[in-house]
Amino acid sequence: MPSMTGHAAAVPQRASTGALLDRFSYDDDIVRKFLFATLLWGVVGMLVGILIALQLANPFFNFNTPWLSFGRLRPLHTNAVIFAFAGNAFFTGCYYSTQRLLKARMFSDGLSRFHFWGWQAIIVAAALTLPFGFTQAKEYAELEWPIDIAIAVVWVAFGVNFFGTIAKRRERHLYVALWFYIASIVTVAILHIFNNLSIPAGPLKSYSIYAGVQDAFMQWWYGHNAVAFFLTTPFLGLMYYFMPKAADGPVFSYKLSILHFWSLVFMYIWAGPHHLHYTALPEWASTVGMLFSVMLWAPSWGGMINGLLTLRGAWHKVSQDPILKFFVVAITAYGMSTFEGPMLSIKSVNALTHYTDWIIAHVHTGALGWNGFLTFGMIYWLLPRLFQTEIFSKKAMEVHFWIGSIGIVLYVVAIYSAGVTQGLMWRAFDETGRLAYPDFIETVLKLMPMYWMRVVGGTLYFVGILIFGWNILMTWARRPKSYAVPVIEAAPLRGAYAPAHDPAHDGVPVPTSLRRRFVGVQWHRRWERAPLLFTVLTVLAVVVASLFEIIPTFLIKSNVPTIASVKPYTPLELAGRDIYIAEGCFNCHSQMIRPFRYETERFGEYSKPGESVYDHPFLWGSRRIGPDLAREGGKYPDLWHVRHFENPRNVIAKSIMPSYSQFLRTDINFEQIQTRVDVMVMLGVPYGDAVTRAPQLAREQARSIGAAIAEQGGPKDLEGKQIVAIIAYIQRLGRDIKANATASAAGVN
Amino acid sequence: MKLSDIMGNAGLSMYAQVALVLFLAVFVAVIIRTWAPSRRRELHDAAMLPFNDELPASRGQES
Repeated sequence: MPSMTGHAAAVPQRASTGALLDRFSYDDDIVRKFLFATLLWGVVGMLVGILIALQLANPFFNFNTPWLSFGRLRPLHTNAVIFAFAGNAFFTGCYYSTQRLLKARMFSDGLSRFHFWGWQAIIVAAALTLPFGFTQAKEYAELEWPIDIAIAVVWVAFGVNFFGTIAKRRERHLYVALWFYIASIVTVAILHIFNNLSIPAGPLKSYSIYAGVQDAFMQWWYGHNAVAFFLTTPFLGLMYYFMPKAADGPVFSYKLSILHFWSLVFMYIWAGPHHLHYTALPEWASTVGMLFSVMLWAPSWGGMINGLLTLRGAWHKVSQDPILKFFVVAITAYGMSTFEGPMLSIKSVNALTHYTDWIIAHVHTGALGWNGFLTFGMIYWLLPRLFQTEIFSKKAMEVHFWIGSIGIVLYVVAIYSAGVTQGLMWRAFDETGRLAYPDFIETVLKLMPMYWMRVVGGTLYFVGILIFGWNILMTWARRPKSYAVPVIEAAPLRGAYAPAHDPAHDGVPVPTSLRRRFVGVQWHRRWERAPLLFTVLTVLAVVVASLFEIIPTFLIKSNVPTIASVKPYTPLELAGRDIYIAEGCFNCHSQMIRPFRYETERFGEYSKPGESVYDHPFLWGSRRIGPDLAREGGKYPDLWHVRHFENPRNVIAKSIMPSYSQFLRTDINFEQIQTRVDVMVMLGVPYGDAVTRAPQLAREQARSIGAAIAEQGGPKDLEGKQIVAIIAYIQRLGRDIKANATASAAGVN
Repeated sequence: MKLSDIMGNAGLSMYAQVALVLFLAVFVAVIIRTWAPSRRRELHDAAMLPFNDELPASRGQES
């Protein structure tokens, strides 16, 4: 019966063909596992968030304990909420929806379990290394190389499991949510591998193979796309599945969702350089980043409108259904943060907002609103289905919704105001043309009321997640003794595809003209049915864009003019730099002075690309909670730094910096320095003499700095302590271009 | 001579424009294809997929 073939493929379940149907069941056990992991890491990550918010409001909350200090915990917070909370939330929804959209159980239960336990082990490894100062110093890519390898292995296992499921699917068409999952999985793999290329210098220490401008470029290519392909596209996939489910109607426009997908894949990958406006990055690159960021406005809003209008005809349900409330706020937050993102990437706006709290407010609109609320809505929708019982308390869902919403508003309004306030104070001149607030600390103290308001907002949001957790556990407690596992029946795909809607069947004549053939030829349909080709094309879009943007800075000389007087760090300075990295100083101090008068007046000569050619990794920073340090060398005597590290409030009365008195007690590991220098040499840093006698050179320099401190009236026993190394590094910062004004003329442009 | 010297002198700047045009062309093609009238029904079916995913043999369809 050849004429029936097409319809059988489109409508698999038919009583008459029952004998041909496969019988199988979905693996919901793995979904439940990921759900509990989402809850656990959500609580942990947000608790750390509250602690670091308190630390900024009052340095007391650093508890004078190195592993609890802000610089070390801030990466723990970001990693926990992004990769642990949002990551597990994505896996929860992905495992649930993928099986159902493909009408197939996951390819391998073993791989699912490996993915689950592997991912949790990685999170635990992060929690055990970041607070102890093991970090690569790249935002959202802080984890050291052994953990990076583990991430790659687990991610590949996830990919194999996911694509294996696609291969054995029983639904020909890949629903748009799956496209978003595919793009996320392949792009995250590419981003992760290329940004983390580094050479190990010990079991938990490595140096990025890139330096300075190139490292910054790679990092923000990664950093921005981590936001795009870990927090945006996976969650859009979830939105396109769970929003129609919750609203009980199809997505507003499937066509718009296709456009949404391809626009994001084409454009997102270019946007990274907007994190580096007015830095030493070549201007063409930052202009490209700005243009594509502004263009992203359109598809992002198209997607938001598509999500919200899915509720057409169902708006009356929103007031009754807390799940829909969560989704509406989540999608609105997506709209707000994707409005704000392009705006912040416009150079003149960025000049005000870069390095300020505005960026922190922006990401929290996205994280708390979009990722958080979408996760909550999705999990509430899943609870009765996964635990096969009524949800424990609908009232608690309402309370969670309102307390969470108020928390977001308090957080975002406070920190947005803090950002604008500080940005304006930095650039204010008085009537005589001098900086109106020359003391950096003035611009910090102004923010204290807003920092306390953030603590309150964050705590409210956290209380919300506790209510959420309690509701989950109480629902779980009411689960049946054993879960019913429904058996699903669906027809397997046939080898050869016959279109479900053959034009001949619909009475449409075969197209004759070229245009009609183009329109009628089923090429996009074939992509959707050929996941391998589809994936290759997505990768192509991402890789080609990345190469065109990144390669020129590596290969075209004029992009990074070198400066002859810039020399590598001495072995002791390198050791000090490693301490600076371990303590996470770059989380609060930038090393990148922008070419504005209000920056050069405050910090000194603006930073040049040639100055960081030996910086593996770059340490330009992205936020100034403290002052920029690019020209810190020589500003204060050594003894000032000793007193300052011992307790910053010794010299700056109301500083919010944690104390680093351990530097005065901890010995420098001189022997280790040789390994570090050796790796730098492998990376092409010209170390000359130090290649063979790094520890000896370091000891000599340490002795002279120790003597200088003693001479200035400081403690006399410091020459072997870490304080000497970090002072050596700080005193070196930004001095090379002053040493010799004759810069080489490598800059062609 | 380093690789960067060779690349710097190769005059590759127009490749970026070629890529831009190619990207744009593919993008326009996707738009035309997506809004082609002939696909209306197929895309409507695709949009209904999330509701077509619970077909249990031993349990009624989820509401």
